[in-house]
Amino acid sequence: MLEIKDLHVSLEEEGTEIIKGLSLTVPKGEVHAIMGPNGSGKSTLANVLAGRDDYEVTSGNILWNGESVLEMEPEERAAAGIFLAFQYPIEIPGVAGLTFLRTAMNAQRKARGEGELSTPDFLKTVKAKGGELNIDVEMLKRPVNVGFSGGEKKRSEILQMALLEPTLCVLDETDSGLDIDALRVVSEGVNALRSPDRAMLVITHYQRLLNHIVPDQVHVLARGKIQKSGDKSLALELEKSGYAEFAGAA
Amino acid sequence: MNVAIAKTAAEKALGERFEDVHGKLPGGDDVADVRRKAFGVLMALGLPHRRVEEWKYTDLRARLKSVGMIDPDHRASLAASKLDTALGPLADVQAVRVVLVDGVYSAELSTRELPDAIKITPLSEALAADASVLTGENALQREADESVVALNTAFATDGAVIEIATGATVAKPIMLVQVRSGDEARISATRNVVKVGAGAKVTLVEAIVSVGDASATADDGAVLNTATRISVGDGAHVTHVSSNTDRGAVHLGTWSADIGAETVYRPFYFSASPALARNQLFLTFAGEGAALDASGCFLARGREHIDNTLLIDHAVPACESRELFKGVLDDTARGIFQGKVVVRKIAQKTDGKQMAQALMLSPTCEFDSKPELEIYADDVVCGHGSTCAEIDPDLVFYFRSRGIPEATARALLMESFVGEAIEQIEDEPVADAISELARGWLNDLRADAA
Repeated sequence: MLEIKDLHVSLEEEGTEIIKGLSLTVPKGEVHAIMGPNGSGKSTLANVLAGRDDYEVTSGNILWNGESVLEMEPEERAAAGIFLAFQYPIEIPGVAGLTFLRTAMNAQRKARGEGELSTPDFLKTVKAKGGELNIDVEMLKRPVNVGFSGGEKKRSEILQMALLEPTLCVLDETDSGLDIDALRVVSEGVNALRSPDRAMLVITHYQRLLNHIVPDQVHVLARGKIQKSGDKSLALELEKSGYAEFAGAA
Repeated sequence: MNVAIAKTAAEKALGERFEDVHGKLPGGDDVADVRRKAFGVLMALGLPHRRVEEWKYTDLRARLKSVGMIDPDHRASLAASKLDTALGPLADVQAVRVVLVDGVYSAELSTRELPDAIKITPLSEALAADASVLTGENALQREADESVVALNTAFATDGAVIEIATGATVAKPIMLVQVRSGDEARISATRNVVKVGAGAKVTLVEAIVSVGDASATADDGAVLNTATRISVGDGAHVTHVSSNTDRGAVHLGTWSADIGAETVYRPFYFSASPALARNQLFLTFAGEGAALDASGCFLARGREHIDNTLLIDHAVPACESRELFKGVLDDTARGIFQGKVVVRKIAQKTDGKQMAQALMLSPTCEFDSKPELEIYADDVVCGHGSTCAEIDPDLVFYFRSRGIPEATARALLMESFVGEAIEQIEDEPVADAISELARGWLNDLRADAA
């Protein structure tokens, strides 16, 4: 279970407070969506969960399975099952996709005290899971994300997620830059990972993604805190009324 | 008016060494004349210093406090196993070996059975016949105005004369191994002449190493001066790799190349932790339609200093030159790239590109990059670029968010960064060995940081 308790986050350098007392609980087996206008703190929340150090948590706490993650390094959080699908997946010149995937999988296995994957086992897994996402192994011989289209980058993120089998998936605007077909493939990939052992936090501007990945709960994030929560119908309401209702002063 | 500069201790020592040993250096009277003339050039110019434009960033005069001994009669014995250890991954490359120990040809360690297409003669043997191996078409470029070149001619003790037959495809690389042994500081000068026949295809590797007990350092005057005269016949295809892993010593290396029409010449320079290395390439395009692909990887930390200086002369039309140098610098190390390309008036349709990039791991390391273009023709495509940067923290975060520890992430990023240069080596076993040497260096860096 993910529990975020009265979280306050500022930008490390400027000290501007972006998240101002955010509380949220996502039980395992559930998919929660976070919607909100630009600048409401959605991406900050995603990055803080993953442990990016450009931000400072000034108060509050983030608990994953009952343990605070605030003192954990990003790689420790990953080993604890937290995965962030990036809004803008980064291009890594020179590092082949397969090398990257294998290094990541083995690093996490090592952190959990498991042995390294054999080459045939690794390739078999990659081929199987890649196939479901229309990702060819040839594509993974190329450097990570370099020269990939927007859709390819997002599919590659979901493939990483499928291979690393995290228990908390944070998807930061995974729908941005996707056409309808790519959106469907990516959503199917995400839906295939829905499981009673897994919690998901889907961050998005638009209701459209939630037609494909149907959430158990929808939260509206504006001005640094959750303004309203509800079931999936809340997303439809927002689609009609917009975020104006939440845009006033705190 | 010329201002006479007082000689430094190292310059004085060079003068004394020459007087002591010149009678014992290989060759007859004609060779002695060539040496004396070169020595005169060396003494007149002195060691290169920062007011010599091409040596602006490598002030050898200031850096070289002393020079070690020269003993033309010195014959070190070295076990083959020790040599293999010194070569590291390069020992596994199946190659024809020519081995020079402390500047002297070792018949024992060199490959005896040579393929028909290859002829190798020790330089000392060639000099015993006459001076022609040092003169005329075999003379190095810049004999008259470059003191490191003059030093080589004056002091050369041995080396290899390598001839590749016309049209031959040489399956195994030819590996010229220069090994430093013993605990005495020596200054060695070796000279090689390589003639690649028209249409031949060959990979040459120059491996500069030291065996474990070579404890003398640059501060003691441990210096290796190597020079290679290479002529590449029309239509030949040559991969020419230098790998310098002799930690602690000074290496002054000169390759002087003439490449014929329709040739492909691919020099590569790998330098890992020398005290000071100067890799200089003087190349002249001698025939149309030739392609030069020069690249390198430099790895330095501590006070180490690596200087890659190229002078490419597009003397004929329609040739292509590429330069790609990448390096990693830490502590107060210094990397230098000077990639001068001259395009003569006649050299229309020249296509030249230069790129030099450094990853800087500390705020105190230094990268001096000087791409230079001197263009006299008007129908050419030339460009240059250079970057220096820290490791991108966004990239590191991406790795870490996938569970990869920071140190591993940084090592992988550095490896892939220099890998883009190393993959320019077409000979796969050699490229693999160089990659492994680079990985070893990066792993040491990581282990020492932990």
